[in-house]
Amino acid sequence: MNLTFKLAWRNIWRNKKRSLITIASVFIAVFLAIFMRSMQLGMYGNMINNVVKTYSGFIQIHKKGYWDEQTLNNAFKYRKGLVDSLKQIEGVVDVIPRLQTFSLMSSGHLTKGVMIQGIDIDKEKGLVSWEDRLISGNLFSNNDNSIIVTKDLAQYFNKKVGDTLVFIGQGYHGMSASGKFSIGGIIDMKNPKLNKLLVFVPLKLAQDYNSAENMVTHLIINKDDNAENDLIFDQINDKLDQDHYEVMTWEKMIPELKETIQVDNLGGILMIGILYMIISFGILGTVLMMTEERIYELGVMLAVGTKKIKLNLMLVFESIVLSLLGVLLGILLVSPIIYYYHINPLVIPGPKGQALKDFGFEPLIPFSTDWKIIFTHAMIIFTIAIIASIYPILKVSFLKPVEAMRAK
Amino acid sequence: MNNIVIKTNNLSKIYHQGEIEVNALNNVSCEFQKGEFTAIVGPSGSGKTTFLNIIGGLDSPTSGYVQIADVNISKLKSSKLIDFRLHNIGFIFQAYNLIPVLTAKENVEFIMLLQGTDKEYRNKRTHDLLEEVGLGELVNRRPTQLSGGQQQRVAVARALASKPRFILADEPTANLDSKSTTQLLDIMAKLNEEEGTTFIFSTHDQRVIDRAKRIIVLEDGKIVEDKK
Ligand SMILES: Nc1ncnc2c1ncn2[C@@H]1O[C@H](COP(=O)(O)OP(=O)(O)OP(=O)(O)O)[C@@H](O)[C@H]1O
Ligand SMILES: [Mg+2]
Repeated sequence: MNLTFKLAWRNIWRNKKRSLITIASVFIAVFLAIFMRSMQLGMYGNMINNVVKTYSGFIQIHKKGYWDEQTLNNAFKYRKGLVDSLKQIEGVVDVIPRLQTFSLMSSGHLTKGVMIQGIDIDKEKGLVSWEDRLISGNLFSNNDNSIIVTKDLAQYFNKKVGDTLVFIGQGYHGMSASGKFSIGGIIDMKNPKLNKLLVFVPLKLAQDYNSAENMVTHLIINKDDNAENDLIFDQINDKLDQDHYEVMTWEKMIPELKETIQVDNLGGILMIGILYMIISFGILGTVLMMTEERIYELGVMLAVGTKKIKLNLMLVFESIVLSLLGVLLGILLVSPIIYYYHINPLVIPGPKGQALKDFGFEPLIPFSTDWKIIFTHAMIIFTIAIIASIYPILKVSFLKPVEAMRAK
Repeated sequence: MNNIVIKTNNLSKIYHQGEIEVNALNNVSCEFQKGEFTAIVGPSGSGKTTFLNIIGGLDSPTSGYVQIADVNISKLKSSKLIDFRLHNIGFIFQAYNLIPVLTAKENVEFIMLLQGTDKEYRNKRTHDLLEEVGLGELVNRRPTQLSGGQQQRVAVARALASKPRFILADEPTANLDSKSTTQLLDIMAKLNEEEGTTFIFSTHDQRVIDRAKRIIVLEDGKIVEDKK
């Protein structure tokens, strides 16, 4: 073995306690940082998924101007060619059409304004887990004449599966719209606002009802969990005629969610920053001690003819091995824990959990298993440890054997 | 024949202790021949350590210079000087000479590894040197497992390993009991007699002074006596 590395290796095991302290502090930093960030980013991911997957999708395409004036008159023709070309974009799993309109729903003397979502149920299944939400009845299939109502609406009208409801509204370009449909299923959207508002109708039925043959108001982009949203957004924009369409990401459609996450995330980053500072001082402290303790010895080595570069290599190698051990140990121990909480999400208890529920979020924290979190924090801490070894390098660079050896 | 290994010319070293200037060495000019066995003596603070450090290229003079084998080492850059020391000078310090994580054998080998000598030669020389200083049995011990005297003998072996032009030893026996002192001196004297190794050492110990072939007496940074 190379002399320098042999020396470094033996020096590491010479003071086991100190080495263990260094490894432990690196380990704790890596463990905590990754644990905290996986929890936080996992929570945000879940919040986004909750909203995005029940409601908005990651990216929506509308006719230009629809977002500001959400009426049926701003619907556009569904073109298979366009949809196919959007599906070509890497990361795009599916392009889901919707026809959304407002209508009056009534039964007996009760009447209420509702939002009708004409959906392609087969495609929507890729975005939303419908089976989980169904309270009673069945999901319709695309050719059915039945509808699905949200649970609060069903309760308001006191209706069960099999009962019928009457709809009256205005169709495309002022045509009158009316129909009588039977309830095929009742659904819980897990969001109090949506539960009072939504009625799902097979897309074809909605188009017929509205005299809007082959028209849609939305194309919803469903993407791979790991695909970059912004990248897909840019590519969609490139493919679409900007004069006719508008493309929006969930961040733009639901800015409150984005802001909430940003503020909370800042707090998390601050915490991590403080953790890093504590750890930096800890590591620097051990490195300082380690160097000062060995000044005499380094002086002797220099006196008898050891080149400074060799001494520095030795010291850097010591730091690298110690911090690498800490980093690897941290990753090794934190990974299964993160994975466990990814599969079995933490449940947010008490009023905080209830508050989240009321806003339509699951009170769950499924940890993120994104490898980038692990990589980033492992790298940051490793870098801190390596930077800390600049101190002994400087020390050695200015070391004079006579002064070093007067130290004892 | 020119047998001069070290020549010092008007060496001076001035230290500043706050306001006070200390003339640790004051215009010292002298020469050392190959094969010497020389003691530098003098009261505490007379400049012995300073003198040895400057001769050994561990410290630089305020004025004057040291010439070793036609090289003015006082002019060498720090990195060149390290290399020069490695190939030309052997060092024995008062204590804690050895690298703690290396065994006796590895400590001796260390110098030759730095020099890049080949393995077979290295092994043989390490073995021979440790035999010579009487530590053939203890080659695999770490410094902490050796007595002070044994450690100093390893230091002698290490100093010899590079085949230096001369060996400098600053009070090599200061931390040793009288038996170990005698042992160490016997080894040094034998190496000097049989192999012509040049030793220059400082000491306070009369028994060590008695064994020297040449005695240089320093007082207040000046050579006041030089007897052969
Ligand atoms: N780094 C330094 N800074 C200031 N003064 C120093 C320094 N090194 C040595 N001196 C002074 O220089 C003088 C000579 O010191 P030196 O160590 O050479 O003496 P010495 O003969 O080796 O003494 P001793 O027998 O005690 O080892 C002393 O007065 C000492 O205080
Ligand atoms: Mg001294």
